[in-house]
Amino acid sequence: MIRVEELEKHFGALHVLKGVSLEVQKGEVLVIIGPSGSGKSTLLRCINLLIEPDSGRVFLDGTQVNRRDIRPEWVRQQVGMVFQSFNLFAHLTALQNVTLGPIRVLGTDPTTAGAQGRKLLARVGLADKADAYPAQLSGGQQQRVAIARALAMNPKAMLFDEPTSALDPEYIREVLDAMAALARDGMTMIVVTHEMGFASEVAKRILFMDAGRIIEEGSPEEIFHSPKQERTRMFVGKILR
Amino acid sequence: MPATFDEQRRSRVRIVDILLAILVTVGILAYILDVLALRWGLSTAYIGRSYPNYLKAAWISLYVTTIAYFIGMGIGFVLGWARSVRTLPLARVMAARRREAVAAADGGSPGAGLFLGTLLVYGIKYYVRRTADAYVAIIRGTPLFVQIVFVWSAVLVFYPRLDPLLQGLLAGVIALTANTGGYQSEIFRAGIQTVHSGQVEASRAIGLSRWGAMRYIVLPQAVRLVIPPLTNEYIGLLKASSLLAVVGSVPELTTFGRSEAFQTFHIFEAFALVVGIYLLITVPVSKVVEWIERRYRIPGLGIQASRTARV
Repeated sequence: MIRVEELEKHFGALHVLKGVSLEVQKGEVLVIIGPSGSGKSTLLRCINLLIEPDSGRVFLDGTQVNRRDIRPEWVRQQVGMVFQSFNLFAHLTALQNVTLGPIRVLGTDPTTAGAQGRKLLARVGLADKADAYPAQLSGGQQQRVAIARALAMNPKAMLFDEPTSALDPEYIREVLDAMAALARDGMTMIVVTHEMGFASEVAKRILFMDAGRIIEEGSPEEIFHSPKQERTRMFVGKILR
Repeated sequence: MPATFDEQRRSRVRIVDILLAILVTVGILAYILDVLALRWGLSTAYIGRSYPNYLKAAWISLYVTTIAYFIGMGIGFVLGWARSVRTLPLARVMAARRREAVAAADGGSPGAGLFLGTLLVYGIKYYVRRTADAYVAIIRGTPLFVQIVFVWSAVLVFYPRLDPLLQGLLAGVIALTANTGGYQSEIFRAGIQTVHSGQVEASRAIGLSRWGAMRYIVLPQAVRLVIPPLTNEYIGLLKASSLLAVVGSVPELTTFGRSEAFQTFHIFEAFALVVGIYLLITVPVSKVVEWIERRYRIPGLGIQASRTARV
């Protein structure tokens, strides 16, 4: 479904990604962990081309998509993204946030988009908040609207960039539940998170990244309980404590 | 719900407040009228007779101002957007393109055409930005009075046979448009840059184009932010349109008032009317904009009107 080969990215003098390769099968959930500054967010953004990689190849369904002749907008329509800081459109209601993409990008007519949008909001448990503005919602509710917004584009895969790190502890559960439900429905997902419970429950594989490289890959069991690399051991030790 | 003692007392105090305010206002007005009409001998007859002509002149001021303002808004938005875009240094853009080309050619040598194309696009972008910067520098760095005289003299040179009224109007509209365009570009730049970058990222992530993100996400939020300075600019421009008096051939409010004053020698009456009419326009404009601002306030964001005490 998603394949990345030898991805390189520099920000000025900073070498953020040093030849990262990975592959995610259809319906698979891949969790990426690693210290801040290890290049996790950059990697996600290179996959949906929010950031243009310096070199390397990104494949979606077997087609290389980081090419001059492919519009990045076309790629982004098919790969949904959920951000750490929600980034809901502040001037639009929850429902309008969800329907903007279908109406303006896919050209769905507003009535159909509205009906679909309400269904998606119901799916994340927010049927009654359709007309609320982002500033009137809790963090957990905002993040669930953001998930619905990404789903509205009917994406082939979803990227989550630390979706619960900005949340108060009381709201983390509801967002993780929504994500777990999504995974059960067979969505292909790449999730950057440090929620070990979620990772063990939902993910088959976990990648540990540090300093722009993938250091170790394994099942949740292996990564959390018997990591092979010293750096993985140190990092896991810190977050499990 | 029965009003508490405190609320009753407060509402009584409010009534006293209002009565007091009315009394003071009426008193001041009566005093001014007394000074102007009785002691200075202000001719109310002249005012009553000729105020319609002043209103006609005010229409011309409003007309010129409004046209210049809205054309200037288009210019301001485009320039502001151009100036708000961050650009990468050329060396980095070229280096990225080279890496990409090498990767695509799989070791072969990349074609020169690709680099020329990149260079051309970069050059145009660079040129547009620098032109916009220079434009704003020139507009902000010179007096509007000089700009009007400059454009006017240019019009006189290039269209010497045109009707003087048309010459004046043309010069006035061009100068005011150019001027407000420069100032509005700074207003728009501030607005665009204040909208959180995450908003753009999120809109790009659902597949909106650069223009789509601007049109549906950034502009609606930026415009809300810049309504107060845009209002300022309109009122400022209306007042600045009085500088067209230097052209002389456009009978806008100030020009008309001045010529009336020196032809009829009703000097105080003329300028009292001019001042009064300017206020008659600017005060309601502020009120209307205040209403618009309330109407389009984003619920839950910023200070809530209902919770704000009016001090």
